[in-house]
Amino acid sequence: MSVTTRPLGAPQQSAAAPEPAPPGSAPRMTAARLTARIPRAVWPLLAFVVLFLIGGIVRPNLLSLDSLIATATFAMILSIASFGQTVAVIQAGIDLSVPNTIGFAALAFLTSVGPFGPVGAFLIALAAGVVIGCLNGIIISKLGLTPIVTTIAMNGLLFGVILLSFNFSELTVTPEFVTAITSAKISVFGVQMSAVLPLGLALMLVLQLVLSFTGWGRSLFVVGSAPDTARLAGLPVDRIRISGYALSGMLAAFAGIVIVGFYQQASATMGASYLLSSVAAVVVGGASIFGGRGSMVGTVGGALVLGQVATLVTVLNLGSNIQQLIYGAIILIVISLYGRKSGG
Amino acid sequence: MTAATFSHTAPTGYRRQGFARLRREGALAPILAFVVFFVVYLIINPGLLTRFQLQTAANLVVPLALIALAQLVVVLVGGIDISIGAIMSLCNVVFASQLEHFPVPIALLMAIGAGLACGLFNGILVAYAGLPSIAVTLASAFIIGSIAREVMDRPGGGVTKEIYLATSGELLPFIPISLFWLAVIAVLLWLLLQHTALGRHIYGVGSNMESMKAAGLNARATKLAAFALSGLIVSFGAIMLAGSTVTGDPRSGDPYLLSSIAAVALAGASFAGGKGSIIGAILAACTLGLIGNLLFFGGINSYWQYVISALIIFAVVGIPVIWRKLSFRVKGVSS
Amino acid sequence: MTIHQEGATASAVAPQGDQLLIASELVKNYGAVQAVAGVSISCRRGEVLALVGENGAGKSTVAKILAGAVSPTSGSLSVDGVELRAASVRDSRRIGVACAFQELALVPEWTVAENLELPDGRALHGFSQKKSVLAARQTLAALDLGQIDATATVGSLSLADRQLVEIARALASKPKLLILDEASSALTPPGVQWLFARIRELTATGASVIYVSHRLGEIAEIADRGTVLRDGRVAGEFTRGSWTDDELISLMAGREASRFFPDPPAQTRTEKALEVSNLRAQGINGVSLSVGAGEILGVGGLQGHGQAELLRALFGAAPASADSWSVAGRRVRRLTPVAAVGLGIGYVPEDRKTEGLALELGVGENLLAPWFRAWQLGGRPRLRSERGWISGVLTALSVRTRGPLEPAGSLSGGNQQKLVFGRWMDRSRSVILLHDPTRGIDVRAKQELYRAIVDLAEQGVGVVWFSTEVEELVHVCNRVVVLYQGAIADELVGERLTADAVVGAAVGVTGRTAGHADTAVAADSTGATAEQGARA
Repeated sequence: MSVTTRPLGAPQQSAAAPEPAPPGSAPRMTAARLTARIPRAVWPLLAFVVLFLIGGIVRPNLLSLDSLIATATFAMILSIASFGQTVAVIQAGIDLSVPNTIGFAALAFLTSVGPFGPVGAFLIALAAGVVIGCLNGIIISKLGLTPIVTTIAMNGLLFGVILLSFNFSELTVTPEFVTAITSAKISVFGVQMSAVLPLGLALMLVLQLVLSFTGWGRSLFVVGSAPDTARLAGLPVDRIRISGYALSGMLAAFAGIVIVGFYQQASATMGASYLLSSVAAVVVGGASIFGGRGSMVGTVGGALVLGQVATLVTVLNLGSNIQQLIYGAIILIVISLYGRKSGG
Repeated sequence: MTAATFSHTAPTGYRRQGFARLRREGALAPILAFVVFFVVYLIINPGLLTRFQLQTAANLVVPLALIALAQLVVVLVGGIDISIGAIMSLCNVVFASQLEHFPVPIALLMAIGAGLACGLFNGILVAYAGLPSIAVTLASAFIIGSIAREVMDRPGGGVTKEIYLATSGELLPFIPISLFWLAVIAVLLWLLLQHTALGRHIYGVGSNMESMKAAGLNARATKLAAFALSGLIVSFGAIMLAGSTVTGDPRSGDPYLLSSIAAVALAGASFAGGKGSIIGAILAACTLGLIGNLLFFGGINSYWQYVISALIIFAVVGIPVIWRKLSFRVKGVSS
Repeated sequence: MTIHQEGATASAVAPQGDQLLIASELVKNYGAVQAVAGVSISCRRGEVLALVGENGAGKSTVAKILAGAVSPTSGSLSVDGVELRAASVRDSRRIGVACAFQELALVPEWTVAENLELPDGRALHGFSQKKSVLAARQTLAALDLGQIDATATVGSLSLADRQLVEIARALASKPKLLILDEASSALTPPGVQWLFARIRELTATGASVIYVSHRLGEIAEIADRGTVLRDGRVAGEFTRGSWTDDELISLMAGREASRFFPDPPAQTRTEKALEVSNLRAQGINGVSLSVGAGEILGVGGLQGHGQAELLRALFGAAPASADSWSVAGRRVRRLTPVAAVGLGIGYVPEDRKTEGLALELGVGENLLAPWFRAWQLGGRPRLRSERGWISGVLTALSVRTRGPLEPAGSLSGGNQQKLVFGRWMDRSRSVILLHDPTRGIDVRAKQELYRAIVDLAEQGVGVVWFSTEVEELVHVCNRVVVLYQGAIADELVGERLTADAVVGAAVGVTGRTAGHADTAVAADSTGATAEQGARA
């Protein structure tokens, strides 16, 4: 875990109020200092570790690398689907068009893979995501429509476009190129894992660096935290907003391609389950629903927590209802810990 | 003479005020959109006015209209309810499953109680714990959804033909009973919102929370009441849906989450709160709910309904904004 | 004895004779800031008690405590023999306290009638549009306000009419104790006379009035007695006719004003930082001004005469047009904030909490905010040297902070204001626009800001400084323009730049000020907003 948290020493992480170190971790000075700087992203990761250990107590065979990789793989797919949502939430928005952007991009990819080849199709799908995101951003920032309504309407519009423009019977073959970067087993340091795991981690790293260290990423936090301040500091608020939604759309499109590669199937409703779970991963990852706070590492942590819950529930044979119930409870706990508006 | 003039002008002034209020609450655009839509519908499909089609259309639209009203009440206090679909599913399956064990009135009360309880749960967390409604209801969407599937894990239940007739049959020839129930609920809600202090407070809290507090009103209790009221209305919608589909389904509410928010947006309500009208929400729900039918009768692939719904929302909400910007620019140059 | 304890909201105590209101040792802390530090006041039946004080003296907070809108940190409060424990506007109203605030407690989307009905809130009590209009018309007619349309929405009324509605709502409840918190700030002279007539009617019935105002003329006319607040404490008391304006002002200020200020920057340059002629915008009717490089141009005037609009227009934050307009020699046609920053303009906006800072973000991020460029790593000084630049600014302004990662929201008001100012301390600036930067901050922070502003000007930056404190304008600025109804009423420089001249021009009297009635203590012309700032 320590490897993945290190790039977070970025200035905007100071966004989080310094929380007192929990009494239990008092002797570990380095951890305390680290958490003072990056509290939000660390908590979900810590929670995941705790849940993982609990799993080990309940079923000792869960305390294995294979089990960890299985959970992490599931979590990574959810993370990839939630990266775009993270960008939207940081800028005080929300992207409820993620589900059908996933579906649209996946189907567009499969349809255009024949005529344009895998790389061409890949670019077309990503471009589609960018266009969708741009439209969202333009409607939100130029027409002043609320993000939630805009993206819901966009989601509906995309559903219609999906049903109208794709011929599902033709879309059965997943190109090798995609399986190679997702479901194919590869060996990293002698450990077998699906390719999607290192892919997701690399994406997380890149996006986190973009958020933490580029002017664009850091302005995104200012815009999300205080739009009037951003405007009066001379930041191009509309442009930042629109590009943020464009990135969100592109990431959702990327998630669509990854999901196609991993599950080797595509349907009109393939993204539906990501409507609420992408927001859940972001919120559990410590982002503020009011904007100005959030990180990619946190989102991965949030997805890991949700993934480990799913694993535990499956192992204990509790059924998916209990899993959903626990998801809800976790979100409630997280928002009651730091969901209030007061910023402190 | 003066007395006569006075008694003559007072009601017209009052009526004009009602019109002004519709405009203030953003209802004119959705009403206009509905009228245009309805005329187009009648031109393409005059058959709407047959008994069977009227009834089918009403049964299709009424649950959506009720859920839109429920969402509207929450939006009026500046909140949003992501769990509204889950609450609907829960009430739906509670009603359907309890019918197998209990007489109708008790099942009815249990379903209504479930809706009320969900509304209170959300309301307490939002109003008294001070948590953002979008996050609270995201959590309760998971929780309530899982409870719904726990109550009944697959479609079924004991909804009978009698219940179908009572909720979705005909009251009189050409008058579907579902429209009657919608009208009853809408009028009661209208009385509550426009003619009680609580209703005015609901509008006030959404419009200007600080003013309400400074004026000494209990803003938290008002918010809680709005959420509870919303849960109550959702349960009515769920019962109507159970009646018209003659079944209970733990996933039946899911599609209503997005469409209820879409209908409230189309109704011209402000998501910051304090603005939105009942008639606007009902007509917006009718418009959105009937687009699929219209396309079917027009011989167009009904998948277009999703695209057209979105475009209607963008147009109805966006055109006034563009209009304002353009007119401001013209004025700005001249001044 | 503390007021904010739980339990019963009101309990009877011993009779208080002819004292209607007894408040003792009221204290109110907002975080580290002590807005009220032990204020005791009392008010007899039928008496008008004035509460006066400078910006941030705590009078608005005291008024809110008396009204039940704010819980005091400690102290006790009783009205008409009833001890009030938990702050609650409802409880206070029940025992006959009514109040009208400067920031209006009205719902703008509602009609006058609906707003007048508001305080009688019983949840399921019926509400009839028709009845409420009739009742409102009666209320308004009884209060001699028949000209206000009961069916108009409050948002469509003028500011003065809105204030009348707010006062009418308080009067309609026939209060025993009426609290008017800067409630006359937007009223026209006839409106003020109307208010005085109502106050006299009310006190004739044995009710009392707490009158918070900065207009000494009004206080001379209506107040039987007065309490002067300074820095959250009672600085003195006075009774009708026993005081002069000068005495009261020095009591409020509590110091020899001029010793406090640095000298204005020396004028050594000839080039112009900003020139604009016939600027027109919402609230601005043809303002022409020029600011030299290294000059501090003060902008004065009473609240709402276009100062805020002028600064926003000059920064491109509000649409504006002008006959000719140039910044540091470069012509301007249409300005946006992005373009303004590009041209070398910096802006310190009115509300530091919502317009100046991103409170959740760190001190460093807030300083760097204008300098983020999409494709660059970090802000303008580049990632590598960014920390050096930040710590340079923090040291130069003596910002007291735990470091660049501390959230801006946890700083005190003065240090927050320094951040908003400090982000523009960069060689690329040619003009800085300041919107009352010293409002609601402590004396030491004020002095540090004065020093920094003068230093910046001496480096060649043109400063446009709108201040609500006349003394700042008189002592630190090279030149002052006073706005009146969106236009420049007077330009004061050299010998003519005196407090009297600024105040006179602000109330529309050019040249020497006349008598009592006009002498607004302009130092306090925005009154409660400052205390608001200190509170939140």
